[in-house]
Amino acid sequence: MSPNPIGSRVEQLAQSLAEHIVPLIVDAIDIDAILDKVDVEKIIERVDVEKIVERVDVQQIIDRVDVQQIIERVDINAIVDKIDIDALVEQTELGSIIARSTTGILTEVLDVIRAQGVGLDDFILRWGNRLIGRGKKVADWPQGPPLLVAPKAIAPS
Amino acid sequence: MTTVPVPSPALTVGRQGNYAGAVSRLAAFAADVGASWGLYTLGVALLNAAIKLVIGHSYTLTNHQLVAFIVLTVWEFLYFTYQWAVSGKTLGMAILGLQVVTAQGGPISGRQAVFRTIGLGITLFLTLGIGFLGIVFQRDRRALNDFIAGTAVVYDWDARAARLRWIARKEGTPAGASPLKEHGV
Repeated sequence: MSPNPIGSRVEQLAQSLAEHIVPLIVDAIDIDAILDKVDVEKIIERVDVEKIVERVDVQQIIDRVDVQQIIERVDINAIVDKIDIDALVEQTELGSIIARSTTGILTEVLDVIRAQGVGLDDFILRWGNRLIGRGKKVADWPQGPPLLVAPKAIAPS
Repeated sequence: MTTVPVPSPALTVGRQGNYAGAVSRLAAFAADVGASWGLYTLGVALLNAAIKLVIGHSYTLTNHQLVAFIVLTVWEFLYFTYQWAVSGKTLGMAILGLQVVTAQGGPISGRQAVFRTIGLGITLFLTLGIGFLGIVFQRDRRALNDFIAGTAVVYDWDARAARLRWIARKEGTPAGASPLKEHGV
């Protein structure tokens, strides 16, 4: 309170006036009518969201979140109970996935076996002919039947 | 500018349509002998069971060796001839990725399939396998039975594919640079 007694009384008067007048003014204002007049779209357009986002310290927010506490509050068993596993399995076509992956593995295995065979074929051909002194001639032999393999280009001498 | 080591053409060029070598063919033949023998044994067992069911007592082919020999010979003849005539490959050849074609590279006829099977018997039993040496020492890698039937055996899978994957991991072929595309058969 002010040390001056006149000042103090004026202050009290103003206080009591404000207490009576402000509610009257507030009641008289039609906030809905004001809001109707506000062009929210225009305000949104003027807001620079990028600038706001830049000012937000996301890392700080993340640091404040206690993930452990959230996890503890989640009832995982209740969630799992709600999942219809049978329907999920039906939708994922597990059978076709298994079939596809099995086919893939078999193809890989077959490729490996065949590739080993091809490597050994070359080895036997090379060394067999080298043993009888025809090692270099083998390189000029046709790779396959004429309809399946293009004839080798003859290098200019 | 850096140079990336590229595997040799012998390792990367696609082999589809190339003459097949001795090891692949031998492995395919071994698989066929196993498959045909297994099917024969199964057939004989089923036949025995059927006979026992009808006449009451068992009748085993092993007690009649001449009949068993004839049945086995006919069965082996049918096994190879039918498959070669229909698709140009037997079960073993399909596993190893091989195909029988004419000497020129076309599909073989039923007649050639018959001659090839007869030739196979001749090469196996009359020449005691010496006729197979042509696969290693002959220009067209053809065995005696191939000459009798006018056929050849080629790889019918893209042998390059499996090999390339290995090589790519080891040596790192440059991405997109494939010296193989021009060799598509």
